[in-house]
This record gives sequence, C-alpha cells and structure tokens, in this order.
Amino acid sequence: MYPKNGRVILHVDMNSFYASVEMAYDSSLKGKPLAIAGNPEERRGIIVTCSYEARNLGVKTTMPLWEAKKLCPDLIVKTPNFDRYRAASVAMFDLLRQFSNLVEPVSIDEGYVDLTDSQELGSPPAIAEMIQKQIYDQLDLPCSIGIAPNKFLAKTASDMKKPMGITILRKRDVPSVLWPLDVEQMHGVGKKTAEKLKGIGINTIGDLSTSNEIQLKALLGINGVRLKERANGIDPRPVDPDSVYDFKSIGNSTTLPRDTSNQQELLKVLEKLAEQVVVRMKRKQVVTTIIGITIRYKNRKTITRSQKLENPIARQKEIYEAAKRLFHRNWDGEPIRLLGITATGLQELDSAVRQLDLFSYEKEAEKEPLLNTMSKLQDKYGKKIIGSASSQINQVPNSKSTKHDTSFNKDFLQDKKSIVSRKKDY
Amino acid sequence: MRFVIQRDYLLQSVQDVMKAVTSRTTIPILTGIKIVATEDGVTLTGSDSDISIESFIPRVEDDKEIVEIKQTGAIVLQAKFFSEIVRKLPTSTVEIDVENHLQTVIRSGKSEFNLNGLDAEEYPHLPQISEENAFRIPTDLLKALIRQTVFAVSTSETRPILTGVNWKVENSELICIATDSHRLALRKARLETEADGKHNVVIPGKSLTELSKILDDTAAMVDIVVTENQVLFKTKHLLFFSRLLEGNYPDTARLIPNERKTDVVVNTKEFLHAIDRASLLAREGKNNVVKFSTIDGNSIEISSNTPEIGKVVEEIQTQSVEGEELKISFSAKYMMDALKALEGSEIQISFTGAMRPFVIRPLNDEAILQLILPVRTY
Repeated sequence: MYPKNGRVILHVDMNSFYASVEMAYDSSLKGKPLAIAGNPEERRGIIVTCSYEARNLGVKTTMPLWEAKKLCPDLIVKTPNFDRYRAASVAMFDLLRQFSNLVEPVSIDEGYVDLTDSQELGSPPAIAEMIQKQIYDQLDLPCSIGIAPNKFLAKTASDMKKPMGITILRKRDVPSVLWPLDVEQMHGVGKKTAEKLKGIGINTIGDLSTSNEIQLKALLGINGVRLKERANGIDPRPVDPDSVYDFKSIGNSTTLPRDTSNQQELLKVLEKLAEQVVVRMKRKQVVTTIIGITIRYKNRKTITRSQKLENPIARQKEIYEAAKRLFHRNWDGEPIRLLGITATGLQELDSAVRQLDLFSYEKEAEKEPLLNTMSKLQDKYGKKIIGSASSQINQVPNSKSTKHDTSFNKDFLQDKKSIVSRKKDY
Repeated sequence: MRFVIQRDYLLQSVQDVMKAVTSRTTIPILTGIKIVATEDGVTLTGSDSDISIESFIPRVEDDKEIVEIKQTGAIVLQAKFFSEIVRKLPTSTVEIDVENHLQTVIRSGKSEFNLNGLDAEEYPHLPQISEENAFRIPTDLLKALIRQTVFAVSTSETRPILTGVNWKVENSELICIATDSHRLALRKARLETEADGKHNVVIPGKSLTELSKILDDTAAMVDIVVTENQVLFKTKHLLFFSRLLEGNYPDTARLIPNERKTDVVVNTKEFLHAIDRASLLAREGKNNVVKFSTIDGNSIEISSNTPEIGKVVEEIQTQSVEGEELKISFSAKYMMDALKALEGSEIQISFTGAMRPFVIRPLNDEAILQLILPVRTY
C-alpha cells in the first residue's frame, strides 16, 4: 500500500470549523442551522462560516446576514469566539503531530501532514481514518482528509468529499478527475487569474496542462508555470512545519460602521489600525520596511498603495504617519467603506538596523550615553539584564482588540515557537 | 544641405550628443538630433531640455579634411535610427544629403538610407550664455571631482536638492559637496585662473555623470560658465549645458565634525578588501551592514553576522589606533564607495562616537573628505 517512491501527503481540512467548534461546545446546537457572523449593527453582518444544515438551505459564506435569514428563518447566529477556535485548533494540530513530525499548519482549520516516513503506523488510508476518528472522538469535530503524492493534489482531494470524507487522489487520476474541471475550480486559481486564462483560451484544467509555457509566463509570471505543473499533478513544495513562521506581511483592516468621507474620522480609524498592526509586530518581534494601505470605497472599488521606507519602523506613531501620508496622497475624497494598513518587508528586530541621517542624527545621539551603559551591562550580564520598557511587554499573549474582528490571523500558530529569545534594546 | 564626412568623427559626435537624448520627452522634436552644416563644419545637437549637448566637427583638423561641405543647411533626424545607421554603415565616409525639403538620404558605399527629417527651425534654441563669469579647470581634474562626489547624491526625490552636487566657488577655490543625508563626499580644488567670481549652485548629479562620460582624460582646459539657472562646460569642440537645481543647498559645513575621539590610520586597499569580504555575507541579507571594532592598541576587527547565512570576522593591522575604544556599525556599501573615491595608500578615519558621523581622509590630504553616518541597531 505504501508507495516505493514518492511522498504521501495528507491535507486535513476541518469542516465548517467555527460552527463545528460552537456545536462541540454547546451540543444543543447540533443538527441545527447555525451561522457565525459579525455584528450586523457594525455592518459586519456577513456569514463567516455556517453549519451544513444551514448550507443545505442555501446559506453561504460571505452572504449578508439578512439574506441568510430570508433563506433560513430559523438560523441561529453567533458572533465569533476566537479564543475557543484557537484552543480547538491548537489541540487539532497537536493531535496531528502524533502521526508525523512534518505538520504544516496553513490556517486555523487546515494543514498538511507528510506521512512518507510513517509506514509503521499503517497504510495511508488507515492512518487517515485514525486521524479523522481521533479528531472526531476527542475533539468532537468533523474533518475531511485528502491523500495524495503532493500538496496540491492532497488539497484538491480533501475538497472532494465533505463533511467527514477521505479521498485518495493519485497522479494517474489527474486526467480523468481534474482535467475536465473548469480552470476556476483549481486551487491557486482565483477569479482574476481565471479571467486572464480564459482570455487566452484556457478554460479547463486540461487546457492549462497542455498550454504554452512561454505564453503563461508572459501572462502570469512564474506563477503561471507553477500552475501548469500543478495541472499536470506535479507539485514539489515540501511540507514545511516552519512555513507559518515565514510571515510575509502583517495587516489589519476594518469595515467602517458607515461609509464616511469625514477625514478626521478616517484618520482615527487609521490610527487605531496602526496600533493593531504594531501589537502584532511586537508579538512577532519584527520591524517593517514597507507600509501599505487599502481603501475600499462605497462602490466597492478597492485600491491598495504601498511605499518602501528609508528605514525600518516599528512604533505606532511612525506607522500611523506613513499610512497617513499614503492616505492623503491616494484618497480621492469619496466616501470610504473599509480601511486597512499592511506592513510588509518585515525584518527581525535583532537584525534590523536604522541608518542614521546627517540632518537628524543629533537627536538619536543624545541617547548614546544611555545605550552605552545598557550595552556594557548586557556585555557583562547577558542580553536579558536590561532593555527598553517596550521590549519587556511584548509577551502579552493576545490583544483584546481582536474581539470585534470577523477575520482571523494565524499569529497564534506561532506560539509554539515563541521561545526564541526576547530581543535587546528597542 | 549636403556634405560628405568621415564616419568615425560623425559616430563619435553622435554618441556624445546621444547622451542628452531620451525617448521619454514631452517635446517630440527632442527625440531627434539636429545637424547643421556651415562653411566651417558640422554641428550636432542633442537635448532632453535638462541637458543639452552640442558637438562640432570642423571641416579641417590637423590639415586633414574631415568634412566636405557641398551645400550648407540644417535638418533634424530621429536619433534612435540615425545613431544606429551611422554605427552600422559599411564604409569610412558618409554622405548626408537633404533632397527635397525634409527627405534625407544617407549614403555609404553601396548602401543608401532614406530618412524623413524634421524641420530644424522647430528645434528649441540652446540657452544663450554670456561668458563673463567663466573659470577653467583641466579636464582630468574635472573628471576626478565628479567621480569623487557624484556617487553620494541622493536617488530619492524626497529632497530634490540632494539629487545634485553643490558647487561653490570662492577665493579661487572650488568646493564640490554631495550628500544623500546618509553619507557625504567633499572635494576641493584650487582654481589656477584668477577667478574673482563667487558662485554657489547645485548641478544635477545625472548631468555630471553624463558629462564625465563624454570627456576624455586629458589635461586640456574646460571653461565653466555659471549663470542663474544654467551651467555650461565648454571644451574645444563640445558645449555641455545643464539646468541647475532650484533651492538652497543645506549648509553642510557645520555638520562635519571637527573634534575626534578615536583616530585610526589604516592601509586603504587592505581595509577596502576586508570590508568587501565582510559584506560578502551581509549583502545577501536584508541590509548590508558590517561591524567595526577597535581591539587593543594596533588592530581593528571587521565582522558581520547574517543569521540565515553565517558570519565572518577579520582582524586588520593598523598603523595606529588612538583615543577611546569603539564599536560601530555601518553600511559596507557606503564604506566601499567612499574608499574607492579616495586617492592615497593610507587613510585616516576619525570617529566621534558610535552614533555620530565619522570622517575618512587620505593621510595628509585636506582636499578630499568622505563622511558616513553609522547605523544603529533596534
């Protein structure tokens, strides 16, 4: 049953995760149509997840609450409770790690497991069954599992039978199973990419698998070539347990309670977003070199603009100022529905440096005697002996500010690794 | 207009004026090269309205006929095609013939091009500059002045004035200063001519870079004329005009430290190579920073640490280390740029603290100075 060559990858996908966690928590909800949604009074009334009972009635993720209620008047609506979901997620990944060291969390409710070296536990389908049963028995949560020789096929497979499915997808199944499908149904192909592909006559995954590589590269860059490989069932990406730590950006956005073009109000929102971004940056011990903003107007037109900074920044005030500059340069004065700030080009705090400026170094140099003393103490007694106040407070586990969010960030998936030493003076 | 010209001379001139021509211009005719034939010779002009270059090819030089003028006149030809054509012509002489009004024929050997020209009357006039305020310096010195300062100009448009080099003439001395606010390069030169004029202007770095490319390394004098908004560099057969940057250049004199707390004298080449080695790993990381520390009386240590790649440490013997001990970090790129710009086998580096600018000079040479701001860790 175990393949002689090649890998065995599982993709474990929790079924309607938030709703399932709520049902596990309160079993009286079981079997009922349940939706998790934001607060409609703050216009966050969009369905984040819903139970299969609700799905059967046509309720879908991202549907506005009022529309869902129309389809399903008995719909039970709950606001998200991220602490619960986080705890369930941690327990789920801990369970997966019993089967292999190579577990890669992708998000709060899905992850890859590399079973290539787990022969002694049984055949891959047997292991998958064990995993599914244990998650169900111990956590009372349903999941679907895909078994395949690589990540792409595993992810595709886990999607095929829901809930509580186990699907095997071999490379030789690709022509019969994948190729007839519309290219938009392929993982990694979004609406925009699908439009572009259809523009050059690629309509099915089969079309993509035989398409011209040069043309693809011109259209989609290197990603086009990768998509073609995947359409042929090839995906060399390893299961990387650390990939969740390679965060590329930290961003927060919020839908405003009502559309507004009141500059003062908008700047206040930016200031608050900057604060949220800074809290997360501190937790990850990083500084940013590129600040971006997102503006979504009343008519849903969305623009994103970013700027590379001369020096990395990490203070709330600096991030707010940078975002404000971008905002003033790019806002056309129309009413705004959503605002966001994203920090990219992240660098680890202890390897980041600030290039001093000829016209302002004197301000920094004033702190020199203090820093000299600190570095002498650190040399003598170790780096932890002294640091600035802000370097000591970043242990705060999870900020309260997530309370009103409907989206989720996966910072917590890193907590396992946060033993990395706390850094020096900042 | 009709003339026969030596291809090599034409090619050299075309290449020179091409330095000013860009395809991204709002004035369409500036994508062309203006060619004017007079009884004395042929003049070529290229311009992007910031820089204008005029190159003259005399009819006769050193008793050798270079151009045979058959009929005087003027035309503007598309620079992109004209320069490529001249480069690829088969024989050593070229005939350029404007047949009826704008139709231009370029003949060389058995090859014949027909190009549609533009009316030379439409070409903008070059600035009229009176040559009263001129001063002169040798070409090779001018090239050195440019090379030693222009690399330090800012490439960012946040402070446009810093994209230029500040030229000050006072008391028969020329001082060139460039800074991007992270490092500064300063070079002084005595003017041998009795220049009693006083100037303080900012020349775009790009103009100086282009100028330097078309000047030969000779001792021939260059006349420099400064006006309120233009500067003109004039050699025997070349006029180079550049717009000046508007605004006041910051007063940098007070920013250059006079006192020193740590003084290091070290061999330029050894130091440069050590920095280069240390930055081998650092430049792969996110910032190209090396650490410099004094150790005991006579040596220094250069190191860098890029966690994801590795680290490097190197000790260098110095001639002397005087004053307080010091640990400082700086951009390896800025240091290498500065060292490459300096002449002299020994350099003196003067520090005034880990968070203050430091100064690098060749030993016993006050004419040139490089200043670098360190980096500080978070």
